Amino acid sequence: MEVIYGLIPGMLVLGLVAVGVLFWAARSGQFEDLDGDGQRILMDDDVEERDPRRFPDTDD
Amino acid sequence: MTAYQDSARLAQGEPAPEPCYHCGLPAEAGISADVGGGLRHFCCQGCRAVCEAIHAAGLQGFYRRAPEGQVLGPPPEPPKDLKLYDLDEVQQEVVTGSADEREVNLLVEGIHCAACVWLIEQGLGGVDGVREARVNLTGRRLRVKWDSTRVRLSALLQRLADLGYAAVPFDPQAAEGSIQRENRRLLYRMAFAGFAAMNLMWISIALYAGADEGEFRGLFHWIGLLIATPTLAYAGWPFYAGAWRGLRQLRLGMDLPIAIGASMTYLYSLYVTLTGSGHVYWDTVVNFLFVILVGRYLEAMSKRRAVSATQRLLDLQPRVATLLREGEEAIVPIRAVRAGDVMLVRPGETIAADGAVIRGRSHVDEAMLTGESTPVSRTVGDRVSAGTLNGTGSLEVRVAAVLRDSALGRIVELVESAQASKAPIQCTADRIVPWFVAVTLALAAVTFGLWVRQDAETALMAATSVLIITCPCAFGLATPMAIAVASGTGARHGILVKNGAVLETLSAIGHFVFDKTGTLTEGRPRVIAVNDAEGDWPVGTPAGWSDARRRLLACAAALEVHSEHPAARAVVDLAAAADIRYKALTVDDFTAAPGYGVSGRVDGSPVIIGTADWLARNGVALTAGLADAGAGADSADGTVFCAIDGAAALQLTLRDRPRADAADTIRALRAEGIRVTLLTGDRRRVAEAIAADVGADQVIAEVLPADKDAAIARLQATGERVAMVGDGINDAPALVRADVGIAVGSGTDVSIASADIVLITSELGRVRDAGRLARRTLRIIRQNIGLSITYNVIMVPLAMAALITPLVAAISMPLSSLAVIGNSARIRRLVGADGPGNARRGT
Repeated sequence: MEVIYGLIPGMLVLGLVAVGVLFWAARSGQFEDLDGDGQRILMDDDVEERDPRRFPDTDD
Repeated sequence: MTAYQDSARLAQGEPAPEPCYHCGLPAEAGISADVGGGLRHFCCQGCRAVCEAIHAAGLQGFYRRAPEGQVLGPPPEPPKDLKLYDLDEVQQEVVTGSADEREVNLLVEGIHCAACVWLIEQGLGGVDGVREARVNLTGRRLRVKWDSTRVRLSALLQRLADLGYAAVPFDPQAAEGSIQRENRRLLYRMAFAGFAAMNLMWISIALYAGADEGEFRGLFHWIGLLIATPTLAYAGWPFYAGAWRGLRQLRLGMDLPIAIGASMTYLYSLYVTLTGSGHVYWDTVVNFLFVILVGRYLEAMSKRRAVSATQRLLDLQPRVATLLREGEEAIVPIRAVRAGDVMLVRPGETIAADGAVIRGRSHVDEAMLTGESTPVSRTVGDRVSAGTLNGTGSLEVRVAAVLRDSALGRIVELVESAQASKAPIQCTADRIVPWFVAVTLALAAVTFGLWVRQDAETALMAATSVLIITCPCAFGLATPMAIAVASGTGARHGILVKNGAVLETLSAIGHFVFDKTGTLTEGRPRVIAVNDAEGDWPVGTPAGWSDARRRLLACAAALEVHSEHPAARAVVDLAAAADIRYKALTVDDFTAAPGYGVSGRVDGSPVIIGTADWLARNGVALTAGLADAGAGADSADGTVFCAIDGAAALQLTLRDRPRADAADTIRALRAEGIRVTLLTGDRRRVAEAIAADVGADQVIAEVLPADKDAAIARLQATGERVAMVGDGINDAPALVRADVGIAVGSGTDVSIASADIVLITSELGRVRDAGRLARRTLRIIRQNIGLSITYNVIMVPLAMAALITPLVAAISMPLSSLAVIGNSARIRRLVGADGPGNARRGT
């Protein structure tokens, strides 16, 4: 059980790293737009409309 | 006019029109265009233009991305004078960066969904010179980086306007920098407390599971100390600061029991760790701080949402004035305007500073300052006031006072003094807290006293358990959680609650005071009586009018349709309602004399419409009958004469009309036992006529703008809780003075800043919805407080009997908090069930 003397400080360091990452994320504006970024990745660029031949099966 | 047309269409039983291709509102007949491979119908020209622009830019993918069936609403009116934003003087306040890479933050009206994000980012990204465009959907704003040597800012704003979005630059630091920094600090504290709570949790589990007896007991205790100490110092700091502030002001605040509970628990655990006997409560210290910080953060978030939404409304106001310097026009920020400058005010512009007219003639709408609905004529030598709206003519104004010293500035001062004299609102929780704290401290002392004769350690443990158990976890969440849910629900229904505590006050309001012009009434007059040589017309039943009378009104309307004056619109509305085809008539020689009237030839016959003076100046004498009819009308009602073929033919009496939902709203309020008063600067007879129309109990008329807050104070002096509903700048002091100030959305910036609650739309029904939301919120708050008190009533005797084990405490505390959170979430459902209707229009 001596391993616990190493594991507990390790856990605290890992935890503090996680807190540090969160602070950094908040400071760099990661939580500014919770609605938009989630949906932005679903909005593809409009390649198919400029060149329909590349995607013959699209419904447009 | 559209209301009449709508009712006319409904009466004829036409089928419901198909939705507008762009925004989803019912399409108007005759507005259509061939875009995107088919004939599309639209609700307005704005939507048609936007749709064509979107297709022309090759961005029609927007329509595929927009959520099915969502009504977007027509595009907002684009801001005027975009060219202003190219000036360095204007840009320096809001733009950062060098010439080839500038960055600006824009507030954007008209963003609804992720498809809008796509459209804006694609639409701007395709413009040459734009480096980056990134939309913040939550904040409805846009950050653009662009090369100002290749494209101008005004061109970007114009591009946005073409795509259906109104954007204005703003300075994010000035707008909400301090609130945001404060919230971020709170988030850090919450995150740190969360980290500490998670780590301590499993150390505690180990201790409960038996480690408390084993070889690691000492290690776990010291690790608890190591984690809890920085947590108490950092995350617990706001509570100590708050408790200290409260103590200095001799108030037992919510922060005090939190600080005492956390400290006592901490000190007891420290004692156990050092002496090695008893149970530690490190997990309780940090869990408790974490849960309370979550409550605080939720509260701060809901407040920020409302503040930033109202800030948006303020930032959309003009910030520049046009000065004439040595004959040259110069556009300068309002701050740079000095007394003695000559300012050019174009038609439709807001006057930026007080002054005297030195050239030109126009009508000025001073409703926001005086409450007077009819624009007043202003010509050389007359004074004009900052914040008022210029009508159809251009004015040159010599500035007499800068904003700070202007009439508007004085009203802002009144607002500030009223704010200073208003007692802070106390919530039920705030009122209970001092008692709660006192009782808790007394019980802990009693417990210690009872047990100390047996042995000191049990006594200390039992007393601390009492403090831990009563640590108002659930109590601390009871109000903020309910208010957070309520303001979120309100915001989705177009009710912005700027100050959560007023929800409680609002539910106890016994007296509603409504401003008349612009709030209860539409702020635009309509014709209520028509006289001709043969006497009074039956205005309500146009079907019964003779052909000769219809012909007279057609001539009048044909001429008036060319005028922008509210009285002219009223005449046109009357003709449209009577289904009179005035558009077929040809009009020549149209001339308008501001302050008097209009003249012209309709199908060849000379027609003159305006005041009695105007007719006299055109050589037409009034017949005795018409002059009497005009004199008989209430002097505050507008009266207009019309002469055809050189002879006076018509006299029309005009009156501002109550909003369609005014009577319903007031009836519903009175049915709930609430008194309703009409407060106005207008004359008593007009006010009483409107009050009778809408069913108000009481009228306070002929009140000077500066005395409105005094009128509210007099009502409050009779012991009533008073809510004020208003929109104008002149209502602002009264909004602050009232127990609850509600600004109607079309209102002016100062009134919005002064109100506790802002209604985004002008629908009066929202006033009732706000009241209903408030009552529900209060009910939930009471239930929450009841829940946490019940919890305490059960647990405190156990703690006093020294029967609480750490395990029981660890399980029961989060349970009570979860119960409160779950109960608060019901506000959303309650309002959703039978609450405010047509939710979508409010969002």
